[in-house]
Amino acid sequence: MSKLVNFGIDLGTTNSLIAKFERGNVEVFKNPNGFKETLPSVVAYRNDAIIVGEKARTYAEKDPKSVSSRFKRKMGTTETMKIASLNSSKSPVELSAEVLKELKNFIHTGEKPQAVVITIPASFDTIQSNATKDAGELAGFKSVILLQEPIAASLAYANKEKNIDLKNSQWIVYDLGGGTFDVALVKIVEGELTVIDHEGDNYLGGTDFDATIVEFLIAPALQRLGSFEDLVGQMKSESGKFNRLWTTLLHKAEEAKIELSNKSSTEVDLALIRNLEDDTGKSFDSLITITRSEFESIIKAQIDTTAEMMKKILTRNSLQSSDVEFILMVGGSTLIPYVRKRIEELMNIPVNTSIDPTNAIAIGAAYFAGIKEIKDEGVSANTRTSQGRLKARLGYNKNSQELSEVFQGRFEGDLKDLFYRITRDDGAYDSGLKKLSNRIVEDLPLREGEFNSFTFKVLDSQNNEIDVGGNSIQITQGKYSVAGQLLPEDLCLVKDDLGKKDTILELLFSKNSVIPTKTKKTVAVGKTIVKGSDDGISIMVVEGPSENHSSTNKPIGILAVGGKQISKDLLKGTDIDLTFELSESRDLHVSAFVNGTGQEFSQVFEPKPRAVPVKMLATEILALESKLQSELKDAEQNNNIEASEKLNKLIFQVQDLIVTAGTLSDDDVTDDRFKIEDQKRKIAQEMYSATSSKRVDVARSSYLETKREVAELVNRNGNDREKHAISAVFAREQVFLNSTNPEKIQAEIDELEGVRFEILARDPEFLTGMFLHLVERRTTMNDQVQAKQLIDNGRRLIDQESWDDLRIVNSRLWSLMPSTEQNSEEMRFFTGIV
Amino acid sequence: MKYPQGLQVSIPKYIFVFANNLFEIEKKISISGDPGNFSRNITKMRESLEEHGITYENPEGEPFNETRTDLDASISGNGTENLFVVEVIKPIIRAGASGISAVIQKGIVVVESRNQGEADE
Repeated sequence: MSKLVNFGIDLGTTNSLIAKFERGNVEVFKNPNGFKETLPSVVAYRNDAIIVGEKARTYAEKDPKSVSSRFKRKMGTTETMKIASLNSSKSPVELSAEVLKELKNFIHTGEKPQAVVITIPASFDTIQSNATKDAGELAGFKSVILLQEPIAASLAYANKEKNIDLKNSQWIVYDLGGGTFDVALVKIVEGELTVIDHEGDNYLGGTDFDATIVEFLIAPALQRLGSFEDLVGQMKSESGKFNRLWTTLLHKAEEAKIELSNKSSTEVDLALIRNLEDDTGKSFDSLITITRSEFESIIKAQIDTTAEMMKKILTRNSLQSSDVEFILMVGGSTLIPYVRKRIEELMNIPVNTSIDPTNAIAIGAAYFAGIKEIKDEGVSANTRTSQGRLKARLGYNKNSQELSEVFQGRFEGDLKDLFYRITRDDGAYDSGLKKLSNRIVEDLPLREGEFNSFTFKVLDSQNNEIDVGGNSIQITQGKYSVAGQLLPEDLCLVKDDLGKKDTILELLFSKNSVIPTKTKKTVAVGKTIVKGSDDGISIMVVEGPSENHSSTNKPIGILAVGGKQISKDLLKGTDIDLTFELSESRDLHVSAFVNGTGQEFSQVFEPKPRAVPVKMLATEILALESKLQSELKDAEQNNNIEASEKLNKLIFQVQDLIVTAGTLSDDDVTDDRFKIEDQKRKIAQEMYSATSSKRVDVARSSYLETKREVAELVNRNGNDREKHAISAVFAREQVFLNSTNPEKIQAEIDELEGVRFEILARDPEFLTGMFLHLVERRTTMNDQVQAKQLIDNGRRLIDQESWDDLRIVNSRLWSLMPSTEQNSEEMRFFTGIV
Repeated sequence: MKYPQGLQVSIPKYIFVFANNLFEIEKKISISGDPGNFSRNITKMRESLEEHGITYENPEGEPFNETRTDLDASISGNGTENLFVVEVIKPIIRAGASGISAVIQKGIVVVESRNQGEADE
């Protein structure tokens, strides 16, 4: 009934491809015009016509303002690309959709795929992923499945090198494409590919090398030949005199770069550039020579950063170079010989170039598409042959969507007095002892959505096991042969931290958790929301490390529940049950059930694209710098050498950013501002982690103090349950004290404080003291008559030493206090939930 | 794949008491209705157990044969073919992480032979 997706698309920054899985093989479709596999991701608008690909590139030189390229890097931003011939703008999503539509023309089999797998960099955030999905839908695909590029590359490799035993091996996928860089640690666990960890930069790729060539090699050469005032600035600014030249030169640079992969030097012919004149009107017809070593020296720093990212992954996973089998090179930019050489040199891990870096992702996407929605067709049977007395061939589907799966075995040899038995390892199934025959067939029941492991045994009449070469049957129900895609960043809920008058993050889904996934949280309303008022609560989800402050993470969406929406007043402390569902394509569905009113609110977060106005960016960077300076001062005062070193380094980086941001014109056409914004956020995150030690230190010493006081109190007055409660906290002390998350320590302090309060609430001295304290404030109480009665009663109870009753009197007196007195500290609410 | 180490850890007895009683409350509600809307609270308690890897299942109505080792069944009536679970005294309790779990308490059930027409309903 159900069909397979079969079609996979690599939607690249510079080139895109489409491939199809059929009967175990993948075909990469060729462009009917020109028979190339790759379609340049370039869209041109000429009169009424939309031209995509090679021809669009040609127009880029004649009429660059009506041609758009490299839009993948602007996916998920509010940026639109101005198209002169249309007199309007196109969004990156619309442009990507044009490329996808054009790819459909490659399909020579006449099929019209309704569903497709589209690859995205592992480091794409939710907003960018959703934008990619939108593009697919806009191009007419009814269902779009996203697949992370490192998994696609690894699938292409694993399926190509079928004879190499990859069992239990791990490798790194180094994907340096046209515009994005991804590096991922991939492992085969039980026959399934899994991305263990990854790093990436969405703004690093071949395109940046092109820009570097223009900026540092071609522009200086031009300046030497003629007279220009601020040539680079005038090229990059949209209103600049040489803006058109920028696009033209980028193409020239790309050609030069490709040539340099084979030759030791190349030329850029200025005579071929139309209307090139300097400020004095002088035109050029000379050649600019670029050597391979010049090129290598300007990209060295960028390549070294990529190695740094790989080292980070190794350190994080406590691995050494020797633990990694190889570095699998994919992406067009890995064709640059220097990249391969330098990476091998820096990492001391062999680089693997056995797959074609240009089409590997598309091939992998097709393999993935070929197993998507698998229902009736069988996957490769697992066949085994035993040694010795028995010859056995066992066959079954390793992946199943059914609730039971047929297991077949054929046996040759002396079967006399032999039996078999199959048990499920979770203890819920046992076939019983059955007589072995030449052919056996068993229906194995499967648990839904689980990894089902069975043990198959052949036994003789004395119940001794006969070796048939392995006895484990493993069937995954309802999953795919890829272990799943991983979430690139933590997703967290923003809550109010009343103590610090700030917000804290609560982890919803941790980085590298397998999607799709689902979680539930219960939060409390932090302030009373009056029905019909403008007040409200916000359920806000951000993307980024959970130990950071919410402001350093990317907002994904807000579900607002306002006073006008609720059917009755929402009292402070009311529980709200939140459900968060994350689909395989990273749509986040949030629903909130408000216990007080019985209402349910839900929303699918469609994250807003990022808008990065140049002016705001500059202000934010300056604010970050001053924050860094004050943190540095703090760290120096506390003699925290490690932190001050890190902060100093960050200040250096942020000052660099200030300079770069300063050179941006308001109408900058490059994607520099997104790069800068990304870097700014990274610096802010690093600052937070560098200074977290400060907050951790404070939390640690506060914990130790609380521990001392509470332990003393419990020893003196605590009961068994309280003793048990604090020893449980002490027992896990090693774990949380060594964590880098101050909130974790605070939670433990709160637990101890809870015990302290319980004991105090029984302590006559404390109860009397509290009573006297309340008596002092009797004038402010709401009901004076009742207050007087309670106070008289309380005095009597003290005389009678009736402490339990006194506790009740205290709490009733407390409730008579006006709420302003109860919450004397002014609260600031950000989200309204705690 | 072997089951996670965690599964070998003994499960405290109160977990079984808790799960069995929750199951019983659910059963009672299904019989006598839920005027006070307790279901929501019970769901929350059940989910809290699930967060710690403990799930319980009601096998009522499921077919039974001798290969099922997650049930301790008493056969009522005379027939021994086409058996179905007609009454659940204790649910099946399982422990484990998502994707892998194991039975930690067998369900205690009564099974009965049904003729074909009934089984299809």
